[in-house]
Amino acid sequence: MSRRNWRLEWPLHLMLVPGIVIVLLFSYGPMVGIVIAFENFVPVKGIFHSQWVGLEHFKYIYHLRETREVLRNTVFIAFLKIIGGLIAPLVTALLLNEIMKKFYKRTVQTIIYMPHFMSWVIMAGILIDVLSPTSGIVNQFIVWLGFDKIFFLGNEKWFPYVLAVTDVLKEFGFGTVVYLAAITAVNPSLYEAAVLDGANRWQQTLNVTIPAIIPITILLTTLALGNVLNAGFDQVFNLYNPSVYSTGDILDTYVYRIGLASAQYGVATAVGLFKSVISLVLISLSYVMAYRFANYRIF
Amino acid sequence: MVSKKTKAKVRGSALLSLLLIMTTATACNNGNGNNAAAGTGNSPSATTSASGSAAASSADAGPSGPGGKFDPPIEVTTVRAINPAAEIAPGETYDVNVWTKTFESDLGIKVKNLWKVSTEQYQNKIAVTMASGDMPDFMDVDAQQFQTLVEAGSIADLTDVYDKYASEFTKNSFAGSGDLRLKAATVDGKLMGIPTNGGETNDTQLIFIRKDWLDNLGLQPPKTMDDINKIALAFTKNDPDKNGKNDTYGLSLDLNLFNGWSGLDGYFNGYHAYPFNPTKGTGTNLNFIKGADGKVQWADVQPEVKTALGKLADLFKQGAIYPEFSVIDGMKSAELVTSGKVGMTFGASFVPGWPLGNMYKDIPGSDWGIYPLVSSDDQPALAQSTTVLPSHYFVVSKKSKHPEAPILMLNKYMEKMYEHFDKNYHTVTVDGKDYGELALSPINGNMPDNNPKAAAAVQAAMESGDTSALNDEQKQYYDQVKKFEAGDKTMWGASKTWLEGGVFNLQGQYVANHKIFTSAYLGNPTTTMVAKGPSLRDEEVKMITSIIMGTKPLDYFDEWAKNWLASGGQSILDEVNASGQIQ
Repeated sequence: MSRRNWRLEWPLHLMLVPGIVIVLLFSYGPMVGIVIAFENFVPVKGIFHSQWVGLEHFKYIYHLRETREVLRNTVFIAFLKIIGGLIAPLVTALLLNEIMKKFYKRTVQTIIYMPHFMSWVIMAGILIDVLSPTSGIVNQFIVWLGFDKIFFLGNEKWFPYVLAVTDVLKEFGFGTVVYLAAITAVNPSLYEAAVLDGANRWQQTLNVTIPAIIPITILLTTLALGNVLNAGFDQVFNLYNPSVYSTGDILDTYVYRIGLASAQYGVATAVGLFKSVISLVLISLSYVMAYRFANYRIF
Repeated sequence: MVSKKTKAKVRGSALLSLLLIMTTATACNNGNGNNAAAGTGNSPSATTSASGSAAASSADAGPSGPGGKFDPPIEVTTVRAINPAAEIAPGETYDVNVWTKTFESDLGIKVKNLWKVSTEQYQNKIAVTMASGDMPDFMDVDAQQFQTLVEAGSIADLTDVYDKYASEFTKNSFAGSGDLRLKAATVDGKLMGIPTNGGETNDTQLIFIRKDWLDNLGLQPPKTMDDINKIALAFTKNDPDKNGKNDTYGLSLDLNLFNGWSGLDGYFNGYHAYPFNPTKGTGTNLNFIKGADGKVQWADVQPEVKTALGKLADLFKQGAIYPEFSVIDGMKSAELVTSGKVGMTFGASFVPGWPLGNMYKDIPGSDWGIYPLVSSDDQPALAQSTTVLPSHYFVVSKKSKHPEAPILMLNKYMEKMYEHFDKNYHTVTVDGKDYGELALSPINGNMPDNNPKAAAAVQAAMESGDTSALNDEQKQYYDQVKKFEAGDKTMWGASKTWLEGGVFNLQGQYVANHKIFTSAYLGNPTTTMVAKGPSLRDEEVKMITSIIMGTKPLDYFDEWAKNWLASGGQSILDEVNASGQIQ
């Protein structure tokens, strides 16, 4: 960088300083605490004086019977959620985009956006009632259709899908807003050109709208992949119960029950570190894939 | 009323965020902590020593026994958990209130709160405090933190100061149940903390049955466990609420399995089984039974547990238990019961207040009978209690200049609360509104069996009509009961709590007749309990749930028991047997 540039740009660099300090302080500083994963951490002794145990916590986790089951559940549930969380908002946004009545469009948008602001504690209370086999409205409908009642929250087979569907129901309104914003940004002249070429609405969607929002779709999916091991603590913790531990237990809830509730900080940190490493690998991978297959660069 | 479970879940989320910021907190605090040893961290005790060492150098200026006073006054530091929802009397704060003023004027002790956080964050903040080494002179910790502090050697041995400064009344408050509470606080012959709770058995269970339903069906109160099962089935099948619909259940149960509300503890006790491992518990508070050979066995793997499980599975199969019990928590099971769908539950002393408190008013004709536990055979049923051992302690920092100060404050607390009850320290009324004062005290103690004693006093006064022997607290209960008798239906809970045949009366009979079971192991959680307990708890909860629901056969119990031994149970038994803390 030339001297002249520096003279012009230094105020900009100065403005960057607070942001960098905050990142260093709150994102890089705490990384020192990762050593807790390798020691027999006793709060009183602190992280520099606790006994060093090397990889023992990782071995302990590896040998716990449930670990593999929990890991499988986590990935499966997160995978379902990512797929559902991609398709549902995309389709909704495309459909809403076709609606010409502004008032109707806004109303729908607001209504589906609302659940995003509800906490899972409240949502769980509602869902337990709605999905109940004895009194829930969903099961009454299923019986009316002529099928058997389904014990959604107490059945191991159904539980992961219940998690995925309820998560999508709660969050798809939020995603829709993002996609709608992307659709709004499409240059209207492209549609005009398509109409001149004789394209109908369906062909316009297929050839103009979708290609235009592919970058944002890839961006969101890439970011979502980094969260594969975060299958949603709040949701699972509020909905699960011992009968569905075998398919509904995810890493976070498991660590909470096994580690934090009995103050095994070393084990909890070890799992946290494990999650971070996997997430880093996944996000790097999806970044490379996004560049290679969609020619899209996030950075 | 805010649900305990909802709170627990909120706290769960909070704890997880702790996991995420755990590293932040410890890293930062440790950075400070190292400096703190020389700098700011010590300033509270430094100020203490400034005034304190003056007092210490002229040693006779301080108190020499339970009744003494510091002159010149000293300052001691502590940390506080506060309930943000609790309203405080106008003009009072957690820093300055009737308690701190009394401590200062009567004892010459100024209490300084280093920090105050909400009750939910307190345990986390304490963990950080312990990590930073920046400990106050005294603080309240839970059993596990107590053990950590003892092992780290950062808290003071209180044996001598307790002997010298604790008043007779304070010492007597620890005397019950074979000095169990102090024994739990004693490590290698040294008293390392002062228990703030324990010594009580008000978690022993009773049977709550819809009396109007019994009458509707012409049934008698239960004498045996067979009667219980028959009543549960009759409540399920014979339309006890006479509404012409098959919409009732016999026995209340939720996913907690063991609990003071809708728990199975009392049901198992009827079959002389004493399992205890709540779904949302720590997995380390276990019951042990001493065998004939002097070795302990785990209560949960005994054959009596299997017998009771078989009966429960049968009740479930016949529809006497809500089919979705495995997904509902205590709030939901309470909703079912209070909406008049369930006729029987096992529960502890709080049940007449919550959740049954408003039913008498809300559902006309409904009334609950309360009965002591019944047995499956000619041996009397013992009610289990898991609160005999303390779960919280006051500890004093090794660096504190005045380890006797908290003991003197405790003396004062016990005096004002129990020895000569003074209402000003319990509740004040400003503009017709009551404000609690109890939570404002920086220290607190516990008088075991205070409630049963109050119940006895209220009953005596009801009989004689003479209220002169009642203290202000007891008079309050007496008035509530009188209101109920005068027709105030909202006071139903008070009548079932304090009167003869009420919960404390019946629980008192357990104590008087020695019908209480407590674990044979008195120590704190062992290493393997901490490491494997939660995972073993999950296995047990799944086993019990699936056997009751019939998704696994009853004989799965044996397989599970064998697995328990193999996957850590044997080490737990060995550790407990080697602990030397067996009664």
